[in-house]
Amino acid sequence: MKSSRAQRIRGILLVNGVLLLLVLIWLIPVIGLLVSSFRDRFDIQTSPWWAIFPHRKWEVVEKIDPRAQGVDASGPMTIHGVTATFEELRAGVTTPDGQRLQWIGNRRIGTIEVQDKVWAVNWKFTLDNYKQVLQGKTFVYTREDGTVVNIPGDNFYGALLNSVAVAVPSTLIPILIAAFAAYGFAWMNFPGRRLMFVLVVALLVVPLQIALVPILRDYAALNLNGTFLAIWLAHTGFGLPLATYLLFNYISTLPRETLESAFIDGASHFTVFTRLILPLSVPALASFAIFQFLWVWNDYLVALIFLGGDRNFQVVTMRLAAIVGDRGQDWHLLTAGAFVTMVLPLIVFFSLQRYFVRGLLAGSIKG
Amino acid sequence: MHKKSALWNLTAILMLVAMIAAACQPQATPTTAPVATEAPAATEAPAATEAPAVTGKLVAPPGGYLEKALAGEYKGTTVVVDGPFTDIDEVRFNESMKAFEEATGITVNYIGNKEFEGSISIRVDAGNAPDIADFPQPGLLASFVRQGKIVDPTTFIPLDWLKQQYNQSWLDMGTIEGPNGPQMAGVWHRFNGKSLVWYPKDDFDAAGYEIPQTWDELIALSDQIVADGDTPWCVGIESQAATGWPATDWMEDIMLRTTTPENYDKWVRGELPFTSPEVKRAAEILAGIWFKEGYVYGGRAAIVSTFFGDAPAPMFEQPPKCWLHRQGNFITGFFPEGAKAGVDYDFFYLPPIDEEYGKPFLVAGDIMAMFNDRPEVRALMEYFTVPQSASGWLSDGGALAAHKTATPDMYGVPLERGIAELVAQATTYRFDGSDLMPGVVGAGSFWKAMTDWVSGAADLDTVLAEIDASWPK
Repeated sequence: MKSSRAQRIRGILLVNGVLLLLVLIWLIPVIGLLVSSFRDRFDIQTSPWWAIFPHRKWEVVEKIDPRAQGVDASGPMTIHGVTATFEELRAGVTTPDGQRLQWIGNRRIGTIEVQDKVWAVNWKFTLDNYKQVLQGKTFVYTREDGTVVNIPGDNFYGALLNSVAVAVPSTLIPILIAAFAAYGFAWMNFPGRRLMFVLVVALLVVPLQIALVPILRDYAALNLNGTFLAIWLAHTGFGLPLATYLLFNYISTLPRETLESAFIDGASHFTVFTRLILPLSVPALASFAIFQFLWVWNDYLVALIFLGGDRNFQVVTMRLAAIVGDRGQDWHLLTAGAFVTMVLPLIVFFSLQRYFVRGLLAGSIKG
Repeated sequence: MHKKSALWNLTAILMLVAMIAAACQPQATPTTAPVATEAPAATEAPAATEAPAVTGKLVAPPGGYLEKALAGEYKGTTVVVDGPFTDIDEVRFNESMKAFEEATGITVNYIGNKEFEGSISIRVDAGNAPDIADFPQPGLLASFVRQGKIVDPTTFIPLDWLKQQYNQSWLDMGTIEGPNGPQMAGVWHRFNGKSLVWYPKDDFDAAGYEIPQTWDELIALSDQIVADGDTPWCVGIESQAATGWPATDWMEDIMLRTTTPENYDKWVRGELPFTSPEVKRAAEILAGIWFKEGYVYGGRAAIVSTFFGDAPAPMFEQPPKCWLHRQGNFITGFFPEGAKAGVDYDFFYLPPIDEEYGKPFLVAGDIMAMFNDRPEVRALMEYFTVPQSASGWLSDGGALAAHKTATPDMYGVPLERGIAELVAQATTYRFDGSDLMPGVVGAGSFWKAMTDWVSGAADLDTVLAEIDASWPK
């Protein structure tokens, strides 16, 4: 009895331990990114993020100018009782009392450092990256007459607002249309139903990239380019096949009896849809909403094409791409930028996640 | 039920917020727009005591559209300019346009994005082209010229005027084969000098090194640095999808120094194959530096994995870990904050190899090409032919004006002035070859081949043959 219980505990520990380990391995890059986002540019470039943990390192306690000592760097030299060549000193020579001698620099201008090994942590944290991401960079510009002006760059708030303005309707419109369509495909009889459904499913495999130029041409004719309506419609179109398919699978598994009794009671299709179908399919709707929201939020290509280069309409992904600068010289800002853009999708995910797993299984046990 | 209605309420509110955001955005942003012409000046000077050197007088081609624009004829119109530069360069561009906007009443609306190379093709295909686009790679522009989408600026700007504003080399470089024979593809605006070697000046002087005047001296200096216990060169060619491009710049610089400019032009046009002895020799000279034991910081293996912008960083450590870095003048943007030109770093001209080819200079520049033909667009194109249109760079640095009429004294930054003087002394100059070659080669197989060769994945003969094979027939 007792041994079986111990065995069970051991089993639980093993499973949880393995899970914890896996989670940790998965999270290490994210943790590294988070830590880096609080370090300044120089630190990010010169030391790894795990330098925040205590580690042993050599610290300089004394500097010796070899030229003042009159040593000849071309042959073996004796410093602090240690005789070594230049090459050995460059690599570092340990003295009998545990110190290290190291030649820093070349033969001509170098110095010799006496180093002690000490415990160190690199805990220099700063909010600068976040500040620069949120408030924008400041450009120092020199005018012709020599005056220096500070010109503020784009801040992040406008882009966040734009992304919300793009993502929310682009999530809700396809859900609404797809729910109607899924209901129709599942519960209404009309000629060509199967063919149309097959068409919708077939559209799933069409990559959206091939549609960019034709749609852009139509938009140019309709004068829609660079408007929010354009991108809402685009995302709706690109999202509809998956939405319809997913919701159809779920809605078609709802018990037929419920619907039939509603019809017997004289309910119209619309009543059934709003009173029965919609409330019952919240899990599927929510899980698709998460999918679509994350996809739209992270989308770069569609936004770039249909919103154009106008920075008044820049979304977060475009802003994030611009943040690294013309030639990628400010890539350290990506760390903070990544976390800023992550906030809203995380909120959406966690507020809808209890539907998520249920929704993922939508339609999987149809039969 | 209660919970459910809360969910719907939340959704409704979110939707409302989005709608409001969408509705407000276009009106709300102009006030916070980055263009912020009247940015709070940190140190506002008392109203310009003397006439600025560049924007003092705006010279326009006589009888042209700029002249009419200056008379206020196109007041209130807008010209849309697209291009690949953002950040500080965008600030400089907008500052450069101010003189034009104030004098003519025409608004210049610059929409730049980093994906310009990709998005411009889609925009043009969809009939949504900007009025003027800034092309850093004439190779990309050439495809639009072939399709007949580009307006030839010589149809309204007299050739004499262009000859007065630009060196013949620039005009030649801007002439591209169109549907009806060769045409001028646009007007040159600003450029970067590439034949430069950067070094840590203070330490360099302290160590007693001297600036090499010939290639042999350069190699002797490198050997000296090795003998003193350091690595002479910092080289890095990693640049994500564009990995390898710094290697092509090296190749072009060496080609210019080991063969005739005519051969260089043939090479760029695809008439001189990569497998020819000239190109092979250039690659071998390159290998003489890059692959030589102890010559490159981190060794040959580090070249491919080092981001080109991070490559010069060891030069700024105290003491320097490498001493020489060959790159265009834009690289100063990657130097550590606070590094001072003339103190912490300086540059010298990449010395000639074979004396008979003089002092060639490798450049890369931006050409302004015109998609839509309207009078105000013509006026702006004419403005681009005068150095004032690059005044932002002239005063703040970062690039040079491509105009012959931009004299070294117009430069407000000593560094750029020094480069402008070097360029003026050059005996010949040529445009970055990989930017002129067809995209599949110049922005494709050439990069890839160099990367494969440097990383040791393939030998020189193989990769050179591969580039030749990739050339469009």
